[in-house]
Amino acid sequence: MAACTVYSTQTLRTNISIPTSSKTNVGLHQKQVLFFTTNQKNNSRRTNSNKRYLITCGAGDSQTIVIGLAADSGCGKSTFMRRLTSVFGGAAEPPKGGNPDSNTLISDTTTVICLDDYHSLDRTGRKEKGVTALDPKANDFDLMYEQVKAIKDGKSVQKPIYNHVTGLLDAPELIKPPKILVIEGLHPMYDSRVRELLDFSIYLDISNEVKFAWKIQRDMAERGHSLESIKASIEARKPDFEAYIDPQKQYADAVIEVLPTQLIPDDNEGKILRVRLIQKEGVKYFSPVYLFDEGSTISWIPCGRKLTCSYPGIKFFYGPETYKGNEVSVVEMDGQFDRLDELIYVESHLSNLSSKFYGEVTQQMLKHADFPGSNNGTGLFQTIVGLKIRDLFEQIVASRAETPVGAAKA
Amino acid sequence: MATISGLSLSNPRLLFNSPGFPQTIKISSASPLSTRQTLTGSGRMKIVQPVRAAPEQISKKVEESIKSAQETCADDPVSGECVAAWDEVEELSAAASHARDRKKESDPLEDYCKDNPETDECKTYDN
Repeated sequence: MAACTVYSTQTLRTNISIPTSSKTNVGLHQKQVLFFTTNQKNNSRRTNSNKRYLITCGAGDSQTIVIGLAADSGCGKSTFMRRLTSVFGGAAEPPKGGNPDSNTLISDTTTVICLDDYHSLDRTGRKEKGVTALDPKANDFDLMYEQVKAIKDGKSVQKPIYNHVTGLLDAPELIKPPKILVIEGLHPMYDSRVRELLDFSIYLDISNEVKFAWKIQRDMAERGHSLESIKASIEARKPDFEAYIDPQKQYADAVIEVLPTQLIPDDNEGKILRVRLIQKEGVKYFSPVYLFDEGSTISWIPCGRKLTCSYPGIKFFYGPETYKGNEVSVVEMDGQFDRLDELIYVESHLSNLSSKFYGEVTQQMLKHADFPGSNNGTGLFQTIVGLKIRDLFEQIVASRAETPVGAAKA
Repeated sequence: MATISGLSLSNPRLLFNSPGFPQTIKISSASPLSTRQTLTGSGRMKIVQPVRAAPEQISKKVEESIKSAQETCADDPVSGECVAAWDEVEELSAAASHARDRKKESDPLEDYCKDNPETDECKTYDN
């Protein structure tokens, strides 16, 4: 079924019926089914002296699916995006010939837009008012909503570009409706209208200890930075982070929580990680990954006679929990993979991965072995979430293909 | 008689008799201006070069922003200005890190050939 918008430049003389029965709603969004009855041949574009229709069909044959990814700055959104677009097929690249400081990434199927582009206050404006980029006051949620909705409805938009180097808003760029639109940034689930547009949402929850370790890794080589400056920056942003960013995790369909390991007592290095994939139950088109027996509680150490692991080993946990008032299933991995056979062994024991062939998770992890986290739970769960989103996309497309005729008859 | 069926309109608003092409998106006053021009916070127009900033330039900005944050916070460590200054440090540090990553990945010849595949230096031959 095509997501089409019909425009007529002259008086429309054909019979058009717009059934407004709620039965046309196929569970996604309210849709209207439109009948054209003419004596002419079907054509998506038609011109004659009496009538001129332009039917624009974005994203080929399907409506754009919108995914939200929330995380703080410097918490692995870019790596996640690269894994995600790789699972969908094809590398995502900046738009060709446009602003070199554009934050957008485009692949055959997917467009990733950065929500910083919806800053309403530029760097100077924020400084003058004394607000951070985390503060909703520095962001234009009306425009964010309008544009995401327009893309979802198959319309192109002129999206502003926030230039992270100059701190200014550059001239806008044209965003055409893709099959999958990912909106990533600080506030994809903050505004309830934008939240309603999301078909799936993810929150990357990096614990304070790990955030500090990651930022040291990222910034220590940078001139002018010191442990003190890194710490001061994290501390200064913390109140706004806790007020405006952190609460969004209650809305996420999947949360990836990154914590220090429990395998080494009092480990503060932040090198070995305990990562939890928190999956909301009852989300349409999303069935959580599980270990061995769905719904039960399992603690699993894969290292033993069959599989030898190096220190400090690998530990898995799976079980049902309540998270922010929601029923969830949690898969947890502590430790890291040192060898390929460890990863294959783990993959073969996880169920409901939505992979297309045996070993796809391992293949994806190996393909991007140079990305951060490819040997631990962050890479593993990011890859799994990618497979889950691909599956969700395919299910939504399939359900749309089935429904239109039946819905139109109703 | 031909029938087009199964056209779905996610939005019941039909723009019949609209004179132009379907670009009906409202842009807030904060954003678009003519090409290559941007509005600074103080309202002055400034020409932006269409070249991506080199990592070294961003590094310099990071260093300056840290100094400025330390100075701002010396007077009042809990003020909005102080917090905004450290937020700027984070933003620039992230930008510097992205620029470094991009530099690591990019190969000048590959970049050039992506846009100019037909030039002699970019042609590849099977035999």
